[in-house]
Parts: sequence; C-alpha cells; structure tokens
Amino acid sequence: MRLLGWGGGADRAREFEEVALVHLDALHRSALRLTHNRPEAEDLVQETFLRAFRSFHRFNPGTNCRAWLFTILRNAFLNRIRQGSHEVLEDDPAAWESASESVTQPAGGGTHPQEEFFQTVLHGDVDRALKALPLVFREAVILADLEGLNYKEIGQVLGCPPGTVMSRLSRGRGLLRQALGRFAREHGYVKESE
Amino acid sequence: MNCSEFESRLHPFVDGELDVGETLAAEAHAAECPGCRNRVAGERRFRQLLRRQPRESVPPEFRAMLRARLRRSARVAAIRPWLVVPAAAAAAALVWATLPGVSPSTNLVGNLVDKHIAYAQIEQPAEFVSADRAAVEEWFRQRAGLRVTVADFSPAGIRLAGARIAEAGERKAAYVLYEKGRTLLSVFTVPVAVGEAELSGTRVSYRGRDYVTQERKGYRTVSWTEGQVMFGLVSMLDYDSILQCADNLRTERSRQARL
Repeated sequence: MRLLGWGGGADRAREFEEVALVHLDALHRSALRLTHNRPEAEDLVQETFLRAFRSFHRFNPGTNCRAWLFTILRNAFLNRIRQGSHEVLEDDPAAWESASESVTQPAGGGTHPQEEFFQTVLHGDVDRALKALPLVFREAVILADLEGLNYKEIGQVLGCPPGTVMSRLSRGRGLLRQALGRFAREHGYVKESE
Repeated sequence: MNCSEFESRLHPFVDGELDVGETLAAEAHAAECPGCRNRVAGERRFRQLLRRQPRESVPPEFRAMLRARLRRSARVAAIRPWLVVPAAAAAAALVWATLPGVSPSTNLVGNLVDKHIAYAQIEQPAEFVSADRAAVEEWFRQRAGLRVTVADFSPAGIRLAGARIAEAGERKAAYVLYEKGRTLLSVFTVPVAVGEAELSGTRVSYRGRDYVTQERKGYRTVSWTEGQVMFGLVSMLDYDSILQCADNLRTERSRQARL
C-alpha cells in the first residue's frame, strides 16, 4: 500500500485533478455516447473517477492517463451492462463480419456521389447513427474519431491488438457511413438512385 | 503497391498509423491512382465530419460535485487508509449512497423531470428556437392557443433558448427552455384540475411566496400551482437560482394580470 506515501489527502487530490480530471470532458462525452442517457452517463463518469482515484497509486506517472481512464470507464460500463443488461453485448465481432461485408466499397471507380451528403449531415444524425452501431464498433469509432486516440491507445482500452483495432474501425466507419447515407436520403439530400 | 494492397491499408494510412516505408509506398500509389486517391479524400472528409461534432463540456455543477467528492474521498483515505482496501465496493457505495431513491409514484413533477431529461438528450430540444420572449409567447398562442408567460431571466445569465409543446401526464403542456452556459432550465406550464396537483416535496417560502421543491434523478425541481395551472421548473442549477427564476416568473405574471 503506497497510499500513505502520498502524504496528505489534499495533495493526492490535487495531483489527481491535474493529471486525471483534465480529461473529464472527454470521458463525459464518451459516456454519453455509450449510454445515451445523461444521468446514467454522469453516474458512470463519477464511478470511473472514484475508481481511478482509488487506484491512482498504481498509476505510473508518465504513462498515458487518458487511455487509463478510458479503460476504467469501459470496464465500469461493461459491468453495468452485464448486471443490468441494458444493451446486448456483441461479444463476437466475427458475427458482424458477414453483415458488414457489403460496406466495403470497390477500389477505384471515380468519385462517390454518396459522399456529397457529408456537407449536409445534421449533428443529431451522427449520434443517431452511432447509437445504432454495434457496441464493438461504436467504442472503437468513438475513441478514434471523436476523441482522437491512436491505435495503440485504443488497443490498450479495448484490450486487443492494433490489427483488431484497425479492422473494427474500418467496419465501424463503413456501417456508420451507410447509416448516415440512409438518413441523408430520408432528409431528401440524396436521391434514392444514388 | 497495387490497389488491393492499398485498400487493405487505407484506414491506417489515413489515420497516420503506417510505418514510414508503408506510408511512402501508399503515397506513391495514391499519386498514380485516381480511384484510390478519391477513397483517401472520402475517408478524410468522413473523419472531418466526425470531428466537427459538438464537443460538449460537462455541466459546471457536475464538475464541482465530482471534485468535492474526490476531495472528501481523499480526506477519508488519508485518515483511515484501511477504508480504501475494498476499492470497488467503497466506490460503489459512495456513488449509490448519494443517488436519490427511486419513488414508485408517477406524480406530475417526476413526469416533468423525465421530460427535461428526454429533451436534454435530443439535438434540438426546442421546436421553436427563439431568444425573443414576445415571439415565443406568440408562438404558443398560434400553435396551441395557450397564453403562456415567458419571463426574462437574462440578468441572471440564463438565456431564453426556445419552446415546445410537451406532453405531460397525458395532456398538453407549454415548455419553455432556457440555458445557462450548457446547463438547461426547463419551465413547464401544465393545466391541472382543481385539487389534482397535490405537490409532494419540501415546502419552502421564497420572497414571500410558497413553493414545493423536490430533487429527482439528480435534478432540482421547484413547483407551485396557481388556480388550474401548475408551474414546474427543472434544472441542475442550484435551488437559489431556480427559485429566483420562479419568483421572477410569478412577478411577471402578476404584472401581466394587472395590465
């Protein structure tokens, strides 16, 4: 137990605030996108920081605090799902492979007309599309594209090698694009034929 | 590098995750192949779209609450370190102990809190977006034949954001939305039958007027009835701010009634 080595509790809290609490906004945003429920997200973030604070003595200064916090957040979130079964866990990403096969676009082939809708996608659409994404892909996309973590950090959070991060990202992004294209058609931005 | 080799490296290439040799090879291929170049451009635009998403900050009250809790937790740990040993259990207890009990009652105030939470989560909580009080009052008249008083809370830094017609307890209610920074304040005006709105909660008096306050799901509510209308304010703002708004609204209503 190194706890007493941290001196006063106030010092420890101050250090934690400097190193960890600066990531509060990022954690909160991701919790919202994982839970789609504000009180639950706040509760989850609170649990994450309390847990992190309690094991802060095990945190190695100089290593990546943000990835460490995301790891704790993810574990807390998964625990909740297991207990409350709010969301169906797709433990087997392979099951999604065939479903997302059609996403892969052919190489070459000039411009992609469906990309035009990017300019007209509504903010709410991205959240809606993310929400529909299976959790294994959603968490990878959130970490990479909304929070800017690199493959190594994402691999640390998700507990998988960089190769798996890469394949989850490419499938997740493909599914997300499909969904956004569908919304764009619903809004009438893109004609059916496209 | 050919197209299919490029294809399999497209995502790590755009993400800047390839090593130097592979990056150079991929760049050389993209320079020669318009199709693959287009795919890269499409991926970049897609990343930009995702990066353009609103980057919401946590409500300041939540940040302050979390800091206070961490400091309290640090004090406990410093005094009685053995308390820290069952870390997960202790953390869970700290979290749950402060959550309000879930009441089975389906009273109107609880209904309003649920509405507030639901609206806070959608991208565009207001059906009618306007910071103009007169325009919002007019919108209610035209849209639902409702005479709604829209008060001005701007001296307290609370800005009018818009309005919507809400369903509360299976009836139409007027919902006026305000914002202080990123914290929302909802003002509901709900028609009620005489004696129906038995408001439960803590009775408080503020500047000579009576209110009922109740905390639900972490949100604070201040409500009162005037004849056959119930008013409910819901927010994460502190009680003082909410009561000040309530007082302001009632003053404005009595001023309008006198005219």
